Amino acid sequence: MIPAQFDYVAPATLEEALTLLSEHGDEAKVLAGGQSLLPVLRMRLNAPGVVVDISGIQELKEITDQGESIRIGAGATYQDVLDSPLVREHLGLLHKAVTEVADPQIRHRGTVCGALAHSDPAGDVGGPVLALDATMEVQSRGVVGPRQVAAADFFVDLFETAVGDGELLTAVTIPKHTGWGSHYEKFVRVSHQWAIIGVAAAVRAEGGTIAEAKVGLTNMGSVPLRATAVEQALVGLAATEEALAEACSLAGEGTDPPSDLNGQADYRRHLAGVLTRRAVLAAAGG
Amino acid sequence: MTAVDETRAPSAEVGRDRRRKEDQHLITGRSRFTDNIVLPGMLHVAMVRRPYAHARITGIDASAAQESPGVVAVLTGDDVKDQQGSLPNAWPVTPEQKAPPHPAIAVDRVAFSGEVVAAVVARTAAAARDAAELVDVDYEELDPVVDLKAAAADEKLAHPDLGTNRSALWVFDSAEAGTGGDVEEAIRDAEVLVEREFRQQRLIPAFMEPRSVVVDPTGEQFTMWSATQVPHILRLMLALTLAVPESKIRVIAPDVGGGFGGKLQVTPEEVITFLVARRTGKPCKWTETRSESLLSGHHGRDQWQKLTLAARRDGTVTGLKVELTANMGAYLGLVTSGIPILGAFMFNAIYKFPSYRFECQNVFTNLTWTDAYRGAGRPEATFAIERMMDELATELGRDPIEVREQNWIKHEEFPFTTVAGLEYDSGNYEAATARAKELFGYDELRAEQARRRESGDRVQLGIGVSTFTEMCGLAPSRVLGSLSYGAGGWEHASVRMLPSGKVEVITGSSAHGQGHETAWSQIVADQLGVPFEDVEVLHGDTQISHKGLDTYGSRSLVVGGQAVIKAAQKVIDKARPLAAHVLEANVDDLEFAEGRFTVRGAGEGQEGIGLTDLALAVFAAHDLPDGMEPSLDADATYDPVNFSYPHGTHLCAMEVDTETGQSRMRAYVCVDDVGNVVNPLIVDGQVHGGLVQGIAQALWEEAVYDDQGTLVTGSFVDYTLPTSADTISYVTDRTVTPSTTNDLGAKGVGEAGTIASTPAVVNAVLDAVRQFGVTDIRMPMTPERVWRAIQEGRGSAPTPEAAQPHFEAGEPNQDTPETEGGQA
Amino acid sequence: MGMQLEHSFTVDASPEATWALLTDLESVGGCFPGATVTEADEQTFKGNVKVRLGPIAVTYQGEGRFLERDDAAHRAVIEGTGKGLRGLGNAGATVTMQLAPEGSGTRADVVTELSITGKPAQFGRGVMQTVSDKLLGQFVSCVESKLAGSAGG
Ligand SMILES: Cc1cc2nc3c(=O)[nH]c(=O)nc-3n(C[C@H](O)[C@H](O)[C@H](O)COP(=O)(O)OP(=O)(O)OC[C@H]3O[C@@H](n4cnc5c(N)ncnc54)[C@H](O)[C@@H]3O)c2cc1C
Repeated sequence: MIPAQFDYVAPATLEEALTLLSEHGDEAKVLAGGQSLLPVLRMRLNAPGVVVDISGIQELKEITDQGESIRIGAGATYQDVLDSPLVREHLGLLHKAVTEVADPQIRHRGTVCGALAHSDPAGDVGGPVLALDATMEVQSRGVVGPRQVAAADFFVDLFETAVGDGELLTAVTIPKHTGWGSHYEKFVRVSHQWAIIGVAAAVRAEGGTIAEAKVGLTNMGSVPLRATAVEQALVGLAATEEALAEACSLAGEGTDPPSDLNGQADYRRHLAGVLTRRAVLAAAGG
Repeated sequence: MTAVDETRAPSAEVGRDRRRKEDQHLITGRSRFTDNIVLPGMLHVAMVRRPYAHARITGIDASAAQESPGVVAVLTGDDVKDQQGSLPNAWPVTPEQKAPPHPAIAVDRVAFSGEVVAAVVARTAAAARDAAELVDVDYEELDPVVDLKAAAADEKLAHPDLGTNRSALWVFDSAEAGTGGDVEEAIRDAEVLVEREFRQQRLIPAFMEPRSVVVDPTGEQFTMWSATQVPHILRLMLALTLAVPESKIRVIAPDVGGGFGGKLQVTPEEVITFLVARRTGKPCKWTETRSESLLSGHHGRDQWQKLTLAARRDGTVTGLKVELTANMGAYLGLVTSGIPILGAFMFNAIYKFPSYRFECQNVFTNLTWTDAYRGAGRPEATFAIERMMDELATELGRDPIEVREQNWIKHEEFPFTTVAGLEYDSGNYEAATARAKELFGYDELRAEQARRRESGDRVQLGIGVSTFTEMCGLAPSRVLGSLSYGAGGWEHASVRMLPSGKVEVITGSSAHGQGHETAWSQIVADQLGVPFEDVEVLHGDTQISHKGLDTYGSRSLVVGGQAVIKAAQKVIDKARPLAAHVLEANVDDLEFAEGRFTVRGAGEGQEGIGLTDLALAVFAAHDLPDGMEPSLDADATYDPVNFSYPHGTHLCAMEVDTETGQSRMRAYVCVDDVGNVVNPLIVDGQVHGGLVQGIAQALWEEAVYDDQGTLVTGSFVDYTLPTSADTISYVTDRTVTPSTTNDLGAKGVGEAGTIASTPAVVNAVLDAVRQFGVTDIRMPMTPERVWRAIQEGRGSAPTPEAAQPHFEAGEPNQDTPETEGGQA
Repeated sequence: MGMQLEHSFTVDASPEATWALLTDLESVGGCFPGATVTEADEQTFKGNVKVRLGPIAVTYQGEGRFLERDDAAHRAVIEGTGKGLRGLGNAGATVTMQLAPEGSGTRADVVTELSITGKPAQFGRGVMQTVSDKLLGQFVSCVESKLAGSAGG
């Protein structure tokens, strides 16, 4: 599979990258890890004039402690995230979800921000990032300072985000969830598959009771979803299967998941209930 | 774990777990696959494939492609229609068999999505690909024939000119053949009748190395390198198809990265690359993408199977009737039509059915054509009968192993002539089953199953049995002749004694990853008494190995290996007079052992003379017996006297999560009897790989088309091939009843794992969920299918026919503002 | 890959006025997301459709025409066929529109059948199905808003 011809530029600084993007407008495509972009180019489902490779920009690679939150730069690969003690300690849910993404080769190239910008509803990091109340940092040339977009406003539709032409997602900032229990339940038929559905759960438990819960759903609609009704229903419940079951069974309600080779919508809705219970229970240490 | 219980001399190579000698170059980057071949001035070919399953070509405008940078030529069907002939079908299963012409490049009609409509030749692969997109083809769409049953009913025609979709009806009847009774009578008189219909889904042989062809027209011969399993057959077929003298074609199969039957073909792309090279006068290369491979390489299986089993109330089987509808796809490839027929003799399996009838209706559709895929015909048979034996056991409320044992051929009954007319030479089903049960912990697992059932555990346990046999070692030429196959089943080998003492073995059985080099070296080392390292095995080039019938049907060792033995024995026979001459002894007094001739009665300490010394003497030829030709080299062509019948007992335990339908393999034990083993490591490798492929049919793989005939599992995103991460550690062991039909006492092993494992897994999953009223689940048993079956069995939800590839009409799937970014 | 979608809506205008708008091929054709109509007359139109969605950007060159047009019964069937550039495969849509008076306004029933062959259909995981659904939804709401807009003012 050979893509159509394109120009390739690899800027060394963010400034240069933003300039290139503003010059080329919708003719330009950002290349981060290339794990989603290259397949599309090779299948010739796109033929951009210019590919702007941001993987050489040092300032984007960092994962930093911002006090209340952790900031993950657009150049940080899944593997960087897995290797980061900050993520492990404060963002257990993201760490867990990333271990479930594809395979080691892909995790060494693909980036968390690339995945968020790609906004594939079956992607594994959208749900956790949404559930953890992240904020996306979007920049463009000529605009001073980054635009901050809440995760809830970031995912617009299938493959569509708040990032416009000429803009770059430069980082995702996620509030620390230190001490929260977390679990990502990914449902697949074969190990390297995209999620048929996924459930991301983070739970703060106090003395065997759920004090606070956050639940994100993968591939249950055209964007990652937040199961807020479930979250609310969980508060105050004991972290036991019997206690949780009813609240979690609601997870699929009102969702509009896809129907495809791996499952019809009704099956996905059913799975959402079952897997939410399991994820929350695991997150609560039950 | 593996036990090797054959006794062998300490110095013997056969039976040793030699590391494969071919692997070092393969895993250190010194491999030479077809796509690695680069020739001076080489051009690249890209195929233009069009998306319609069925359409008339109304016009092709190639001008933009012609003018694209780097393009040398664009060929359409019109350009080659007088040279391309029709791709071969070597197996007209009946004299009346109907088949459409099979052009390499479609001329006026495309009959499946992915068929080639033009070929672009350019200086680089990228230029060829760019230009291929510019070829503008106009079509008039025709109604595609997608559904197999509808096709069999001739509702629409896949090839209107043919007048029917029915290619051939092939029938075997034990009453007519005189090999058994009348099955209709057995059905009429049956005390227990089990009637079932099973679906063998369509599969794609996903070999690791995609197909690739290079043709060099610049020498005296056309040289074709191809990622093929069958260089010899390919050479002959190219000559016949293109009317080029066979002597002007040389075919080389260099390193070939797997095939599984998928490279047992004469492909359109091989013909096209040949034509393009001839036309341009330049070496040309075509290498497929994985998408092309999935779309247009031949597929496998794809049958509806209707079975009727008659039995007595005590469990004794009395008759079996099999009605198959087999999907040929759009065309007949090399052996497409014969694949389902290879199962004809195997549905009766290891059981003593007194009457048997097999009917197979071959049917055309507008899908990719089917052909050999690992096991070819026999997995279909084994699946069906092993499912039926479980159904019978269920019907009778008895243990499935017990019902099998009641009906199988006892070890003292061999050789046994079956109701299908085959003579099984050896076997011991009791021994393999006993060992398997022991390794599996059958009784403990049954107890656990009962416990889980009783407690209503969310995770239920099921145990699946498959006591299989197969016929392999294709094949006695006389049998092939009686089945109207277009060739024989012999194999050729040569042994060349080099003056320096090294030995070259030439085999017509061209390997593509099986380890022939290692196994053949072991055999020859023992035969000639030379070190393993001194044996070089050459194959896969029709100019070196001029004669052969290649590798498929688990034939290499039992047919090709036997040819090697025969050739080696001839070498010894040829050396004998010279040895006698040198040792000044009588020929009749010579003994040959461990590579040396000695004189009987000449005492312990005698030196004798080594075979390799004789090779040097022959090279010098200074002092040979009068009239002896100066050569020890020998050829042998071996035609097997019978098939080879490996068998085994496979036991599988599956855990089924009844809440999600997800199943997980808990344990898998197989005890195979493949006769004597030349190299246990290689045998284990074949069994392990085979198991995964068979398990994959049960659980994971399926080629799915939409109703327009578009392959929707066109990449590995949707064609869910398992990886090692999806498998567990299998427990393998062997029992040995040597085959009586070859000197090694070996039986084929290349397909055994694939043939046996599918029903073991399906039976296990069903065993777990039968309690909920489930009677069948279609393969692959996806979590959704299992879940729906449980729901339906419990009476709580409808089961759709199959997993739908897409949306149901009317199913809402628009995003509403309420669901954006969160749910209320 | 084929699918059918049904939409109904009402506009505050007479069936006659609505019909006139709906049979203006240039404006109906232009409602398809990413479409540019390059030529149009009473019976046919030509143009191209650029589908842009995240990483995917594909262009179809197409034409459309009335398969049926019953000015009295206010029923029309429009067929559009698109040929994908770069060997992409083809797309075709058949849109059946039926108007009927409802109250003081008009009720429109639109049935759209879409089929896509070739590469996009093989993109995987049924994603293209979702994409097509979305595009059709946008198409119908554009038609609706044009009718509402014009009819209303
Ligand atoms: C075989 C395979 C299996 C996979 N399995 C999984 C899986 O199981 N789970 C899962 O979640 N993912 C999976 N992926 C997808 C992988 O995670 C994505 O490729 C990755 O998430 C995207 O990141 P990237 O850095 O590779 O992005 P790219 O491929 O470089 O970019 C993706 C898209 O986002 C745009 N983009 C990238 N970065 C930015 C930015 N900073 N600002 C604006 N736009 C940007 C690009 O222009 C492009 O349109 C799989 C991929 C492959 C190839």
